[in-house]
Parts: sequence; structure tokens; C-alpha cells
Amino acid sequence: MADPMHQFQIQKVVELPTVNVFGLPIDLSITNSVAAMLLAATLVVAFYAVAARRAVVPGRLQTVGEMLYGLVDGLAESIIGHDGKKFLPFIFTLFAFVLFMNLQGMFLVFTATSQLAVTLTLGLMVILTVVAVGFAKNGLKFFKLFAPSGVPWPLYFLLVPIEILSFLIRPITLGLRLFGNMLGGHVVLKIFAGFVIALGGLGAIGWAGSLLALSSVVALTALEFMVAFLQAFVFAVLACVYINDVVHLDSH
Amino acid sequence: MATENHGTVATTEAPGHESGGLPQLQFQHWGGQIVWLLLIFAVLYIVLSKGLLPRVSGAIDERGAKIAGDIADARRLKDEAEVQARAAAAEVAEARAKAQKTAADAKAQASAQAAERQAKEEAVLAEKLAAAEASIQAARDEAMSHVRTVAEETAGAIVEKLTGKAASAAELKTALA
Repeated sequence: MADPMHQFQIQKVVELPTVNVFGLPIDLSITNSVAAMLLAATLVVAFYAVAARRAVVPGRLQTVGEMLYGLVDGLAESIIGHDGKKFLPFIFTLFAFVLFMNLQGMFLVFTATSQLAVTLTLGLMVILTVVAVGFAKNGLKFFKLFAPSGVPWPLYFLLVPIEILSFLIRPITLGLRLFGNMLGGHVVLKIFAGFVIALGGLGAIGWAGSLLALSSVVALTALEFMVAFLQAFVFAVLACVYINDVVHLDSH
Repeated sequence: MATENHGTVATTEAPGHESGGLPQLQFQHWGGQIVWLLLIFAVLYIVLSKGLLPRVSGAIDERGAKIAGDIADARRLKDEAEVQARAAAAEVAEARAKAQKTAADAKAQASAQAAERQAKEEAVLAEKLAAAEASIQAARDEAMSHVRTVAEETAGAIVEKLTGKAASAAELKTALA
């Protein structure tokens, strides 16, 4: 059976020089992962170049584009409130980029969001934005985030370390959740698809098993499409929730 | 550093010899992915936030404004139409009242003329009736007077036949009265 992990192997497409930043070698070659990200971003731009036609009576693409925009808009509005409009471009870019990378994995051979480097970076970007917004909006009161009000003071000895830990772990959970979902889904698909071929060579009983595996692959593919959308959505929701924490720090 | 890097190139060129482990944890590939991701995300963010998303939200707002405007127009036109309909209904009612009045007048006039004509006819008929009755009365009176004369003559004749002598006219008259 083919190695189910082989699909995640980084391979170079275009060789580019390696640069050293603070002694760290960074290979700027365009790999299959980078190519997938480039394609996803290009597709998002191409899609919205068509979808943002400003027709009063929208076509199909424009309807889908406006639906996705409305989805994120409603999300930001309902979670962050009136200030949500300011963060909408950031959250929408996250959502659209992740969604397109996830969906691309369903059609092409490589899923950029199954790379831990990519998902962790996205998670860190969200948290750094949260920290930046928190300091810009609240100044040093940002640290109130770690000391929720309305608690008897001795409890702070327990609560503050927990709050700090839970804040620091956010980028990791954000990144790992997306990574894990994408990795798991594609590995399971690959393994079941491998069963189809492996069992097919074992005679009549093998054929029955092969058919079973094939129907599982079909069902799992449908499930993976849902997961691809859902994980992008969850990423956007959590980004909204984390930003809301620092935007409305007073009510925390 | 340089030798390490050459090593990574070798492993990526021969991935089949990779033994176990997540390919995602080959940290030599992280730097490039992260740098490219930041770059791509930044460009995508700028293009979306400055160029495309305002157009999308603009289209949505424009559509909302247009629909609201159209509904307002429609409501205004409906109100106007209602006013016109009320005016038309009032006109129709007025015309109907006028028509009814005209009809009633015509009817009253016609019935008055008919009554007049009828009265005239009745008068003529009554006159004729009276004349006829008078002539009948006269005829009867005349007939009755003839009857008396005949009776007197008959009585005279009977008396003469029975008694052999004629009765006087005065006697006959008293006997017959």
C-alpha cells in the first residue's frame, strides 16, 4: 500500500536561494506547499474579482461570494459587535484563505493547511493581532485580560496563571485543530483508497471488501468537504472570539 | 549551516527513503513556508481589504438601498393610486346620485302627465255616462206614462165590457193610483 504520509512531503518546485536571517537558514524555494498557498490566494482574488461585479441582480458566483462575505460579516457583527467591521477584512482574509486551501486539498494533491508550519503561523498571526489590538485599545489595561473581575482576591493566585496559560496556548490549539483535521481526513482517505486496490486483488471476498472501502471513501470525501468548510469557519469564529476578548475588555 | 541545508535538499529529492515520522515535522522546510505564508497573506489582505471587499459590501449596500428605494416608490405610488381611486369613487357616487335624481324627476313628470290625462278621460266618460243615464231615465218615464195610458184604456174597456157603461176618466185614474 502507498505510504499515506507521502502526500504531505514537501517537494521543491522552483529552486530559489537560501537566505540566512540571524543565523537561521531560510530556504525561499517555491515548494509544493508554497505553490498551494500561492494558488489559493490567487483563486481567492480571482473569485472575488468576478464575484465583486456590483451587479444589482447577482449571478451565481456573485451570490456565493456575497454569501461568504455575509457569513463572515454576520459572524464579526454578532461576536464582536459594532467594532466588528474594523476587523472584518482580517477575519475574512483568514477565512477565505483557509477555506480555499482546505478545498484545494479536496481537488488537488497537496493541502497547505495540513502543514503544521502553515497552521501554527496562522494561529500565531491571530494571537499577535489580538495582542496588538489589545495594547492599542487598552494600553497596559490589556493585562486585565488575565485577571477577570468579580472574583474574591485570593482566587487570583490560581486564576491568573490559568488565564495566562490558556491565552498562550491559543495559537497552538488554533494551529493544531486545523492541522489535525486536515491531516487526519487526508490520511484516512488515503488509507481507505489503498484498501480499495489492495482488497480488489483478493478474489470474491476481496471484491466485497473493496466495494465497502470504496463506499467509505465516497462518504468520507463528502465528510471532508464539510470539514474543509467547517474548519475554516471555526478558525474565523475563534479569531472573532479572541479579538472580542480584547475589544470588550471592560466587560470581561 | 550550509551543509545542513544541502542535507535538506537531498532528503526532499528522495522522499521515498524517508522512514516514518510526520513530513510536517521536517523543520528545515518551516522557514520558507512561514516567510511565504506571511508574504502571501499580507498581499491577499491588502488586495481584499483595499480592493475587493469594499466592492462586495458596496454592492450589497447598493442593492439594499435600491430595494428600500423601490419599496418606498411603490408605497408612494400605491398611496397616490388610493387617493385617485377614492376621488374616482366619489365622482361615480355623485354621478349616480345625479342620474337617480334625473330618473326620479322624469318619472314624477311622466306620472303627473299620466294622471292628468286619466282625469280628463274620466271626466269625458262621466259626462257620457250621465247623458246616457238621463236618456235612459227619460225613455223609462216616457214608457211608464205610456203604460198608465194603456192601463187606463184597458181598465176603461174592461169596465165598459163588464158594466156596460163607461167609467169616467177621473174614476179610472183613482182606481189605478
